[in-house]
Amino acid sequence: MRIRLAVGAVIGAAVLGTVAFVQGTQQTDPEAAESTAASSSSPREQPIAFVHDVHAGQYAMDCQYCHFSAERSVDAGIPPVETCMGCHRVVLGSTETAQAEIAKVAEHYNAGRAIEWVRIYKVSDHVRFPHLRHVQADVDCTVCHGQVQEMGVITEVEQDLAMGWCVSCHRDPQYNARVECSVCHY
Amino acid sequence: MSDGIQRRDFLKVVGVGGAGAGLSGCSTQNVEKLIPYVVPPEEITPGVATWYATTCGECSAGCGVWVRTREGRAVKLEGNPAHPISQGAMCSVGHSSLQALYHPDRLSGPMRRSGDSFEPIGWDEAEALLAQQIQGAGGNAVLLHGHLGPAMEAAASQFMAAAGGSMVEFEALSAAPLREATRIAFGRDTVPIYDIESARMVVSFGADFLGGWISPVEHGRAFSSMSHADERGSKGKLVFVGPRLSLTGQNADEWVPIRPGSEAVVALAMASMISAAGGDAGPYASLLRSYDVAGAATQAGVSADAIEALARAFMSDGPSLAIGPGPEGNHEGATAAHLAVLVLNAVAGNVGRTIHVNGTSAVPAGSVADSVQAVRRAAGGVVMVHGANPLYSLPAGSGFAEAYASAGFRVSFAQTMDETAAAADLILPDRHALESWGDANPRDDTWSIQQPAMQPVPLYDSKQTGDVMISVGARMGADFGGAATFFEFLQGRWRDAHTTISGVPAFDEWWRAVLRTGVATSSVPRQAEATPLQAPDTALTFEPAAFSGDGDYYLNVYPSVRFGDGRFANRPWLQELPDPVSKIMWQSWVEMHPSVAEEMGLRNGHVVRVTSADGDVEAPVFTYPGIRPDVIALATGGGHTAYGQFADGYGVNAVSLLSGATEGPSGALIYAGQRVSVTPTGDWQRPATTEGSSDTHDRPIAPAVALSGLGQAEEHEEEGHGPLKELQLWGGFGPVETEGDDRAFPLPGISEYAPYDGGDATPRWAMAIDLDKCTGCSACVVACQAENNVAFVGEDEVLMGREMHWMRIERYYETVDAEHAGPVDIRHLPMLCQHCGNAPCEPVCPVYAAYHTPEGLNAQVYNRCVGTRYCANNCPYKVRVFNWYRYTAAIPEPLNWQFNPDVTVRDNGVMEKCTFCVQRIRDAQNLAAISGREIGDGEIIPACQQSCPAEAIVFGNIRDENARVSQVVQNERTYKVLDELINTQPAVSYLKKVTFHDVQAAEH
Repeated sequence: MRIRLAVGAVIGAAVLGTVAFVQGTQQTDPEAAESTAASSSSPREQPIAFVHDVHAGQYAMDCQYCHFSAERSVDAGIPPVETCMGCHRVVLGSTETAQAEIAKVAEHYNAGRAIEWVRIYKVSDHVRFPHLRHVQADVDCTVCHGQVQEMGVITEVEQDLAMGWCVSCHRDPQYNARVECSVCHY
Repeated sequence: MSDGIQRRDFLKVVGVGGAGAGLSGCSTQNVEKLIPYVVPPEEITPGVATWYATTCGECSAGCGVWVRTREGRAVKLEGNPAHPISQGAMCSVGHSSLQALYHPDRLSGPMRRSGDSFEPIGWDEAEALLAQQIQGAGGNAVLLHGHLGPAMEAAASQFMAAAGGSMVEFEALSAAPLREATRIAFGRDTVPIYDIESARMVVSFGADFLGGWISPVEHGRAFSSMSHADERGSKGKLVFVGPRLSLTGQNADEWVPIRPGSEAVVALAMASMISAAGGDAGPYASLLRSYDVAGAATQAGVSADAIEALARAFMSDGPSLAIGPGPEGNHEGATAAHLAVLVLNAVAGNVGRTIHVNGTSAVPAGSVADSVQAVRRAAGGVVMVHGANPLYSLPAGSGFAEAYASAGFRVSFAQTMDETAAAADLILPDRHALESWGDANPRDDTWSIQQPAMQPVPLYDSKQTGDVMISVGARMGADFGGAATFFEFLQGRWRDAHTTISGVPAFDEWWRAVLRTGVATSSVPRQAEATPLQAPDTALTFEPAAFSGDGDYYLNVYPSVRFGDGRFANRPWLQELPDPVSKIMWQSWVEMHPSVAEEMGLRNGHVVRVTSADGDVEAPVFTYPGIRPDVIALATGGGHTAYGQFADGYGVNAVSLLSGATEGPSGALIYAGQRVSVTPTGDWQRPATTEGSSDTHDRPIAPAVALSGLGQAEEHEEEGHGPLKELQLWGGFGPVETEGDDRAFPLPGISEYAPYDGGDATPRWAMAIDLDKCTGCSACVVACQAENNVAFVGEDEVLMGREMHWMRIERYYETVDAEHAGPVDIRHLPMLCQHCGNAPCEPVCPVYAAYHTPEGLNAQVYNRCVGTRYCANNCPYKVRVFNWYRYTAAIPEPLNWQFNPDVTVRDNGVMEKCTFCVQRIRDAQNLAAISGREIGDGEIIPACQQSCPAEAIVFGNIRDENARVSQVVQNERTYKVLDELINTQPAVSYLKKVTFHDVQAAEH
């Protein structure tokens, strides 16, 4: 192969470091993804109006009930549709809106189609954030993700998850965490 | 750095003007999707690797591998420690299997010929077409196949029975002469099993058993175990008898550079001497009496003393073992040469000790002559080709092309387009070994399972050939024991065999265990059997082989360590792997002795035309002291014409020089049978090489120690270096006061940015590499590339010195004499970041991207690096590489699916280098932390160590005195490269190579 490259010809990050949750056999068609994004009113809008405040707040479900791998993996895990259906076979919603959204979940499940959630939280590709170490150190999920149990729609919390903010915790004697580059950057 | 401007302030000032477009920490401007499973597979946890045990499908060795998958994608292969063949190691070709899996040139689906091109068709239609053609041919059908596992072979055989045709094994680099010779000598129709580990004196008659011959990983492990100097100061010896030092030859202790074609007379002369001294030659006793050392010496062009000494050592320094010749020695008397070597083993009493013929070894030993004949007979009928590319790997004179063209309907089961598939009428793309079921039976007592480690790559509509055969066979009325799929067929066979293999009655439980471990071994160990020699039933001549043509040089076409017969040449990792002998990548080369080159006024890179009676090729010269002056050598595997973007046009096809003749008794292709002339063309081509110098210039880079000198060293200095020194203001080094163990260097507080906390609990990661074990096979180089997302850059970039390998094997010639028998000393030195305690790269970085971690790693922080490249300039080991362009982004889909998600993919403008596989360190630390325990020794294994067949590399915490690495470095052979000159205090310790001959004191 002879690589032909022009400096600056391609713009955009070579993001392959952490492609998580992509099912082995399933490829997202970039065109389809684009059209989905374009057709919705906002590109940040979720395909299903999942309400964290009801699940985590009203019913006080543990975060790790759905985000099942947070304590044993670098990734917290996005629940498979089957997890949703575990309850929603029975729980069909009390309001019309809820019923419509839950019906969408069932629709995905019955069609064997994955739900393409819009990613809200992402650290840069040169950062390794292992959820398991933070769960093990009893860092509450809300420290980074905010008061999720009060959010109808998940939005980023005010801090921008920049390095200075990470380090402020790592320096806290309470955690005795390491502060050196190669802990997170490699 | 206390005076005036700080380094970082300087950069801040400089950066004000131009650095407006910096990334803010956690931008989520772009919409990214999170796609969970609908129904999660039980075994998969996102972010945690899932491993499957399977069998490597690359060659017939049948090595067991573990496949590391992440979220359903295979990202890395590692050796399966439970497997008796590979014992946890791998070779470079095995690693590159992933690039075949994700190869961008894989065929998109079945297709049939339409004029000069192909048109896609559906599988149903394709299978119906195949069935119709076979039935129409009325039994005139042949299946030409490469190596097949036992289940696949059984399915193919039932399929061909239904078709009324025949199947023939095709292998260009066939072991047919060896099998034929074993049959003649012992009456066993098999290839012998070599027990190199049990020998103390090995003579290779040209076989490159460490390179690619039969089972390189198994041989590599056994060889290093045999040949390294053990605690008792005992070391096994390898003598290489042949015209050219292959990778195996480079690892020899002595070289007897015999004339090509004279292996048989040398082996028989040795056998004759041993027989005269009481060795039992059985029915060969009278034959041996007509061979003597003096005659053999004249015919082989070496001194009689050398052969005599070799024969004596073979008798007295046993257990001994003679191996070979390999395919590169296939001349018109190849079977006779193999027979002579087997007789030598028998006379020396090695049969049943170091060589076994009472078992089977699955080595492709098909006859090329039979293959061509079978295709010729199928004129007008159906010719099917699976796992072979004879249009490329056979020369025109073999007649294969004409025979293939005369077939009525040609079918290929190739995964990617190749020369043979390109001339087919129907292509039914097979699945990759990592996507399909199969098995292997590398030894008669070892069964290895091949299971799919992932769903087939969805871009390619492939179907496993076993399934095609069952489906098409069913259309023709065949019954595969009721199996509807190849998996059922295979499982049925294992079900039938399981009681004899295991003695365990319950199949299901046993089957699950086999899938988990990947291998089943016989509960009855093989008994050693001193099989006696039989009277030969075939008339053979042992006289030196004749070479045709009237050129000045013998031609030696040898199998490439990287490409085999050319089948692996489309993998960029292997194209860019420096050849273990020449260190050249992407190109072909003509090996000639420096004295010959000098006579002709040639140096490395001068293009010459090599002309035989049958063809000519043009390639640049590589002057090699390890080749006889009357021999010219070229490797196979280059010069493809229809094998995709990474193979076509790179190098030349040396096979085109051959006549295509085959050897009489075995039908193997003759690789050594011609004389050639060499004509300079006047052109010069820059060699794409990593070889800076083949001479250490008396620097302490790769010193050795004589075996006789072991244990006699003066008071051993701690860890092989002198007292700690530091740079003085007025230049030079002066002693520095240290407290405690100097392994703790740098001392507390010495690093400004990352203060050394110094606690005993903090590990100091270190590595030890035993050069007495390293064979230079280069498996570690590809393992590192696979693990760490190291980009390949292509020939043009390599020519500018921009290769990205984090690891390279340096090769130094110390003692090489191609004209006289005597000691040979070629040293291999794996070079990677030395993680210096006193690293020259660190203080010159203006942005602290290169810094020292408290754990002793020399870290490179990519997001800090601004690409000044000062660090690379200041590195005395040349282990830092720079991303001049967006090499990773240029890797075509889906090759980039292989990227390791645990390692950052570097972009242009960033410096990178070996990290000691820090991702594995972090992974182990994470797991240890959540289960509240300490990391055990051996828990962190870097990719290079994992892969090493020779077990030359040991990694661990050198502060833990019980760690293996700490114990290994407590050796008088330990030294650190260049440390005593420049005081870098590396974390990598090397153990000197041990030689049988005396080495100069200046070499340490």
